[in-house]
Amino acid sequence: MKDTNLGAFEELVLLAVGSLGENAYGVSIKEALEAKTGRLPSIGALHSALYRLEDKGYLKSAEGGATAERGGRRKKFYQLSASGKRALQAAHELRMAFSSRIPGFKLSNQRS
Amino acid sequence: MKIIGSDPPRWADKLLSWFCKDEVLENVQGDLHELFQLRVQRVGLKKARLLYVRDVVSLLKPRLIRNVQRPGAFVQYGMFKNYFRNSVRVLRRNALFSGINITGLSISMSVAILMVVLLTELHSFDSFHEKKDRIYRVITFKRALLQGEAELNATASHYIGDRIAAEVEGVEQVLILDRKMNADFRSIDTAIPVAGYYASPTFFDVFSFKLTRGNPARALENAGSVVLTASTAKKLFGDDDPINKTIVVEANDDFRLGVVTGLMEDPPLNSHIHFEVLVSMATVEQSPVERRRKSGTNPGNYAQSYVYVVLKKGAKPEDIDGTLSEMMSIHNASSAPLTLSLQPLKEFVREEVGNAPGPIFSRRKVAMMMALSVIVVLSACFNYSHLSLVSALRRCKEVSVRKITGAARSHIFIQFITESFVVSFVALIIGVGLFLLIKSEFLRLPDLTHSGRPIFHLALTPVHAGIFLLLASVVAIIAGFFPSLILSKLKANTLITDVGKHKFIAVLSTRHVLTAVQMTLSISLIMCAVILFKQYKFVLNYDLGFETHKVLNVRVDPKDAEVLENEFAAIAGVEATSRSAVALGTRHLIPADATTDSPQDTLMFSANYVDDKYLAMHGFKLIAGSGFSKPLSDSTSDGIIVNANFLKSLSLGSPEESLGKQIWYFGERKLKIQGVVQDFVSHSLDAEAPPAFGFLLGDSHDMGVLGVKISEDNRLATLQALERAYQKVDPVHPFEAAFYDDQIATTYAESMATYKIISYLAFLAISISALGMLGMAAFTVETRMREISIRKVLGAGGNSLFYLLSKDVFILILAAGVIAVPSTLYLVDHVMLSEFIYRIDHSIIDMFSGLIAMLLIGGLTTACQMRVAVLRNPAEVLRKE
Repeated sequence: MKDTNLGAFEELVLLAVGSLGENAYGVSIKEALEAKTGRLPSIGALHSALYRLEDKGYLKSAEGGATAERGGRRKKFYQLSASGKRALQAAHELRMAFSSRIPGFKLSNQRS
Repeated sequence: MKIIGSDPPRWADKLLSWFCKDEVLENVQGDLHELFQLRVQRVGLKKARLLYVRDVVSLLKPRLIRNVQRPGAFVQYGMFKNYFRNSVRVLRRNALFSGINITGLSISMSVAILMVVLLTELHSFDSFHEKKDRIYRVITFKRALLQGEAELNATASHYIGDRIAAEVEGVEQVLILDRKMNADFRSIDTAIPVAGYYASPTFFDVFSFKLTRGNPARALENAGSVVLTASTAKKLFGDDDPINKTIVVEANDDFRLGVVTGLMEDPPLNSHIHFEVLVSMATVEQSPVERRRKSGTNPGNYAQSYVYVVLKKGAKPEDIDGTLSEMMSIHNASSAPLTLSLQPLKEFVREEVGNAPGPIFSRRKVAMMMALSVIVVLSACFNYSHLSLVSALRRCKEVSVRKITGAARSHIFIQFITESFVVSFVALIIGVGLFLLIKSEFLRLPDLTHSGRPIFHLALTPVHAGIFLLLASVVAIIAGFFPSLILSKLKANTLITDVGKHKFIAVLSTRHVLTAVQMTLSISLIMCAVILFKQYKFVLNYDLGFETHKVLNVRVDPKDAEVLENEFAAIAGVEATSRSAVALGTRHLIPADATTDSPQDTLMFSANYVDDKYLAMHGFKLIAGSGFSKPLSDSTSDGIIVNANFLKSLSLGSPEESLGKQIWYFGERKLKIQGVVQDFVSHSLDAEAPPAFGFLLGDSHDMGVLGVKISEDNRLATLQALERAYQKVDPVHPFEAAFYDDQIATTYAESMATYKIISYLAFLAISISALGMLGMAAFTVETRMREISIRKVLGAGGNSLFYLLSKDVFILILAAGVIAVPSTLYLVDHVMLSEFIYRIDHSIIDMFSGLIAMLLIGGLTTACQMRVAVLRNPAEVLRKE
């Protein structure tokens, strides 16, 4: 279990990207986060995080999907890279390692 | 779906595309637009736009912002080394241009350095006093009745000092100094003349002069107490302790015997007040002479003393001014009104006042000097700009190559600015050297302040180093900015192609403006120098109407005068002697007034007390009546010899008619007109004096000037004999003698100083312009080498070539002359020479002297360079084509 240097928000972003599959781009990620967390992430924070994650190699991107609403501008679709998946895995295991030891915690997917 | 017509705010969009990183911009902006459209549907247009703006702001994150050239990424250290080395190489390669630039800049910097050092020292005057923010001086304003009299005086009456001390609330201390303290001090071993002040006991409370021996609170308390300065004590007592020693005082009405109660350091050079001794005020207050004189209670007696006050913290000088005028109201009602005010310490050496206790360097003078220095510096900067621009055109290829291999505009700019910094700093070093050279000359200038002592050290301190670096940087930037900018803006491909063809239109006309400005300044300065010189010479040679050649004026103690006169008369080489109270024509005058029997006629005139031989010795021609004859007894004569103007002003008729008529002298003494002389110049030519003049037969004790006419053979031997004779009679006072002609010259010392400064600056301006023109000519010849060769081949002779090359320059000089000549004439007549009453007319040559000089220089420099051009074999030059 290595420490992955992943901030809480960044982890969320990775999870959101992973969950959206093929359709993960700025707006859709934002909406996914809003739906799940109930808070509104700022577009600046989001794009900053996406840029950073791509820099770190956890995400890969591809361009496409220009529409009229966007004034003809393309979207950047993100996907988890292999190391991104590993990072998420590691983060998840870290959390599990602690939460499984907390008495009286009932978590779904808990390994007994 | 996109709703047609609804758009996010344009400005926000533009802002985003301005600051956002390129690779992120497209998809971010797209996201924002998409969100915008969604929001328009959900919350309406207005809210959507607001949210858009908010989102744009949220994107102002460092990671997402475009990489503007951050200072760190500007130029690295390695590049600076490269630029520096390059600059040095460039300088070495273009030795002529570099030499010209550096010389011009260093000359101008030496002037700027002088100004900086002068100003910092001026600023430090009196800064050593602890209470300097609260020290003020009472100054007196009186409307001047005699020309040449100062209206504003540094002095104030003893009376007002006492009243302030007694009545005014906001005043913490009052110090009164009395100027009458001039005497001879005698110790066991020696006697020396000393000058100083009577001072009230508060002296050391007000001023922070250091008392090395004695108690500052008590040293000036009792009558007869004397505080000596270190150098005076050394003269009187050598290295012995002077405290409690006795001093015998001579030549002073109020003071006979003194006791030394204190020893203090000499007042430093940057003090507004200088003295050799301080004597307690009680001494003069208690003297029997003063008790009769009662000068301390007369508010109208304002010229004998200085009044200093220390205000309490928080007191305002304006309030006290009002109280002062109240105190003077009774006096002002019945006599010539005096207006008093408080002058703060920092004005003591800056404001022009009469009767100052030390040097004054007025704001006006400082401003004038600063203006001139700025002109010189700017002139050199223009020169540098011009020359480096022009020589840089030759380096287009270099610049192009740099640009092609990847230099950004800013890099080129920095490169050339670095060059100008290198030149500037080299010039600074040379400039400091030049300053040290001219420093001693400047300090030797005829006394600018009539104070008879040096005012400045002009020493360089580490503080100055910082200012100089700043100066050099500013000069580098001013001079180098323009050429660097032009060069960095040029496009690479246009530079590589033929330089000759490339016309920098904007540059060309700017160059002409630069040159023209320089020419104007140079012409101006030369004209000023020539005109002032002519005026000075004129004034020196002006026929004063009486004889001054061969006359030596000796200052004598009136009681020794008769003995001395006899001794002198016996010396070989002495042709004549006579005595008077003052030497005419040297700004010394005795003011007087005369009334006729009809009392409405009062005439202000100037007087001199003379003996019976004076008029003859100085060649005064009598047009009526007779001169003075030796008085038979000690009774005072009642004759007066006047000049023609005197008669006219009092309507006394023709010279013959006026003889025997009587006038009242100062309303109390009756005098008969004994003789009339022709009008002559009684005062110095640069100040008006009442043109009416009268000679009176003087009493022995009035006349302290002994005029000795010396033959020109063996002058030196005669002078030495005179000195020996003098010292036999009066061993205390030094032998003070000066030739009359020299004395007159000294009165114009200030004009002389101004003239020296102007001519030095003119010389600088000429040098700088000449250098500039030399550079220009060199450049012109070089770039037009081909043209010249072709013309030569086609048969053009030296003359037509010369005309071709010099045309531009001459036109510029003429244009500059058109501006410079009239404006300088105006300036000189109305500002500089305005104080001279007798003025020489300007000849045509004088007026156009500057123009002619510039034309000559232009011609010379062009001719110089033309020689180079003409001597080159045209075949060789054209072979390269």
